[in-house]
Amino acid sequence: MAHRVDNEYDYLFKIVLIGDSGVGKSNILSRFTRNEFCLESKSTIGVEFATRTLQIEGKTIKAQIWDTAGQERYRAITSAYYRGAVGALLVYDITKKQTFENIQRWLRELRDHADSNIVIMMVGNKSDLNHLRSVPEEDGQALAEKEGLSFLETSALEALNVEKAFQTILADIHQIISKKALAAQEAAGSGPPGQGTTINVADSSANTKKGCCSS
Amino acid sequence: MSGGGGGGSSNNTEWRFNQTLRNVQRMIIGRSFPGKGEGPSPGNSIDNTSAKKSNCPSTSSTNSLLDAQGIVFGARATDSARIAKFTEELSRPAVILDKLRELAWSGAPPYMRPNIWRLLLGKRLEYVEYVSQYYDIPDSDRVDEEIDMLRQIAVDCPRTAPDVTFFQNPQIQKSLECILYTWFIRHPASGYVQGINDLVTPFLVVFLSEHLEGNIDTWSMDHLSPQDISNIEADCYWCLSKFLDGMQDHYTFAQPGIQRLVFRLKELVRRIDCNQIEEQGLEFLQFSFRWFNCLLIREVPFHFATWLWDTYLAEGDYLPEFLLYIAASFLLTWSAKLLKLDFQEMVMFLQHLPTRTWGHHELEMVLSRAYMWHTMFKSSPSHLTS
Repeated sequence: MAHRVDNEYDYLFKIVLIGDSGVGKSNILSRFTRNEFCLESKSTIGVEFATRTLQIEGKTIKAQIWDTAGQERYRAITSAYYRGAVGALLVYDITKKQTFENIQRWLRELRDHADSNIVIMMVGNKSDLNHLRSVPEEDGQALAEKEGLSFLETSALEALNVEKAFQTILADIHQIISKKALAAQEAAGSGPPGQGTTINVADSSANTKKGCCSS
Repeated sequence: MSGGGGGGSSNNTEWRFNQTLRNVQRMIIGRSFPGKGEGPSPGNSIDNTSAKKSNCPSTSSTNSLLDAQGIVFGARATDSARIAKFTEELSRPAVILDKLRELAWSGAPPYMRPNIWRLLLGKRLEYVEYVSQYYDIPDSDRVDEEIDMLRQIAVDCPRTAPDVTFFQNPQIQKSLECILYTWFIRHPASGYVQGINDLVTPFLVVFLSEHLEGNIDTWSMDHLSPQDISNIEADCYWCLSKFLDGMQDHYTFAQPGIQRLVFRLKELVRRIDCNQIEEQGLEFLQFSFRWFNCLLIREVPFHFATWLWDTYLAEGDYLPEFLLYIAASFLLTWSAKLLKLDFQEMVMFLQHLPTRTWGHHELEMVLSRAYMWHTMFKSSPSHLTS
């Protein structure tokens, strides 16, 4: 696919939204990119897509988010979109235990198809439905720690923590990429880059071709 | 009498034997029966019916009584007992075929006859049997895969045409779930795939329209009998099955039928459009997958769905081929607009097309252009090969 050269951002990060059907992935996306929530949303068929540009640590980052269908049958299609993704938001529904139990399956899915350096954040959505909760927040926290993932509970409906979830994962990705760039530069013999210098991260596997930056 | 598939075989044998026995009894006794004796034995109910048939002068009066009250009063006790049995059998959410056969063998009340005949001969009963066999069972009788699928379907039913309030009706939700789950069980090669739920809606609307008047926004399920609902479900189930028969590989693993259509769409558009859109970096899989998976029903306002289905059903076995041309025609409706967009804008535009305000004219244009291209290209297949 040919991307038009866009100088309005420093980084383009591709993020995938994954998790079981009905956990609220599409609404997390619409909340983050358009500040909208739709009670009458339809199931996602294949993949959908939206972007938002935001500032992280002084850099302009364009998040290109791929929202995937939750049903297992679509994995063959959706897993193709894991390629080149530098981050994954793995979503479950705090009111549906099964969707939490399936987190392991999704992690396996990412291990099999995504880049090994992908940054994963686990998200327990629908925190507004606390009275129907079947997954305690501590359980989410514990699993995230065990798997080495960052974790947040969100409510796309109440716009709670959605922004924070994306901010966190994007900042994590940015940090990793900056470090890598730094290491690469040091290895190449030059000192650490000062403010405003061009960072060449083309060799970083975590952001192949889409993460190229210019300043 | 049509077997209608399924059923416990040992039960069947026993039942057949009883029927033969009754046949013989019937021949011996002749057709005039005393018309009394309400015992539980089936032999007695045969007597009752025959008596009813010869003694009851006006079926229409019975009918009007039934219409007015829904239950039989005033008719001869023997008749009412018998009709009550029919009513009981027919009002079950899942009619038990063997019981119905047993009752109907010796004659059915006239006003119930149309339904009973359909049940005995038609596919409706087969569906009813599937439902009792697969759907109306405890979860403990299901394997894990079936439980997962039932859960998946339950998640998707409320999200089926959510902009049409009527579909949120609890009975419709249940019917939808039942149709889809049964379809999944009976089509193991593909199983239920998200989006198939959307494909049931035109059938539901059309078969419900036989019973409900006015606009769909004003429809209510209150006056539909369990039998009506069962019939509608059965009709939807079979129509969906027949409809998807020719597209089975659209919904099997990795959905090769759809992948093929996506590929061919790209080829077709390349020829019609001379590569313009493709050069913008348009990735066909990213938008046309849903088009093919849901047969464009998601891309146009819901009131166009039945019209689309008219065309699809008329195309019959040629539908997958024709879909290609509809998709090309649909896409190129926006060719001028698309040329102004970059890759990301294009994907987002195509995923939320501005068809909300579409009238008949717009859809007619898409369909007739598709027809024109189809006619043009099919007679010269080399147009489509690279």
